[in-house]
Amino acid sequence: MALHLNLLHEEFQEQRLRQRDPLKIGMMVLGGLGALMFLYYMWNAYQTLGIRNRLNAVQNDWSKVEPKVTSAQKRSAELNSIISTTKVLDGMIDGRFYWAPFLEKLSRCVAMNAQITSVDGTVLDDNRGVNVMIEGLAAGREPRAAAEELRQLLLEQLGQSYHDVKVEFKTLEDLDTLVRIGGANMAMARFSVSASFSQTATKPATPAGRAPKK
Amino acid sequence: MKKLNLSKDQIQKLAVSTIGFVILLYVYFSFFLGPLNASRNSMTASIKELQAKLGSSKNEMAKATNLENQAREATTRYAALTNLSPEGAPIAWFPPRMKIFFSNQQIDKTTARLDSNVPYKEADLSGWTRYNWMLDLPQTDFATLGIAVAELENTEPLLSIHHLNIHAQADNPQFQQVTLNVATAILKR
Repeated sequence: MALHLNLLHEEFQEQRLRQRDPLKIGMMVLGGLGALMFLYYMWNAYQTLGIRNRLNAVQNDWSKVEPKVTSAQKRSAELNSIISTTKVLDGMIDGRFYWAPFLEKLSRCVAMNAQITSVDGTVLDDNRGVNVMIEGLAAGREPRAAAEELRQLLLEQLGQSYHDVKVEFKTLEDLDTLVRIGGANMAMARFSVSASFSQTATKPATPAGRAPKK
Repeated sequence: MKKLNLSKDQIQKLAVSTIGFVILLYVYFSFFLGPLNASRNSMTASIKELQAKLGSSKNEMAKATNLENQAREATTRYAALTNLSPEGAPIAWFPPRMKIFFSNQQIDKTTARLDSNVPYKEADLSGWTRYNWMLDLPQTDFATLGIAVAELENTEPLLSIHHLNIHAQADNPQFQQVTLNVATAILKR
């Protein structure tokens, strides 16, 4: 085997040391990484630029649409308010009590031998119930019967249009004075009738603790 | 495995390189990539938000158009109801209006007095006020009164009679004296 003598071993070692310099290798690695990171950053920046352009376009669209949307929203709110107010007003209009039909019915109940002297009617707060006090005079051979006839007629007439109708005498008293009707003297009676009724039917109350029949 | 024999100088250089690498990473993520990503994320979120708004705005405008068509009847009716309340204080125009109305119905000398005015409890009627009036009809006959009341109830939809009092006149029983307590809904002007 041939013998090799390395007379330049010190130079070789120095060269090897130079090549293995950690700072140099580190700087090279850092430089490489830096370049890669810079490229990655540029790629991200390019994408971000694209997103910014898209955002600008969308913002531009929105700035065109926004005034229309705002006015549409305002108009919608206004229309909704108008609809709900009209609904409430219509409810009030439909729910009020009409006195003219009642007066017509009352006039139908008064016979020739009766006279109404006073009518006092009140609509209760919820617009459902109505109380009417009717005062008058009745004349005839039996004036009380004439007054009763008026009461019954009123009950029948009101029952055709209203619910929970009650017509009751509050007072019924004979008078001493006589009145001349058709050439004959008739006795008189003074009456006072209370009528109460409601516009809408009240729901019958279900007794508590009783199951409905199947 | 071959053991690395590093000199003190080499270890120092290696440490400096490691520190440099850590600083590079920190600077890169904190001052470059981090803000860039943050701005990109915020822009993406803004785009999504705006696109959602644009989408909903189309629906909103379509809804408004539909509502406009559906509410045509209600708006016409509302306009008709608001036209029943002229400009000015109700005390100035309501009594003359009633006087003219009843004189057209052959009932003269009608007087209207304001009892009270109260706001409505309903939130939908916040723009309206309830006025309570007392109408005195000193002389009328029953049939004329019935026709007048019917006409009043038909032509004044916002008026409701909540109390009615008819009294025969003592000296002339064929005529009656009438008092009506009415409530009207009047638009605030």
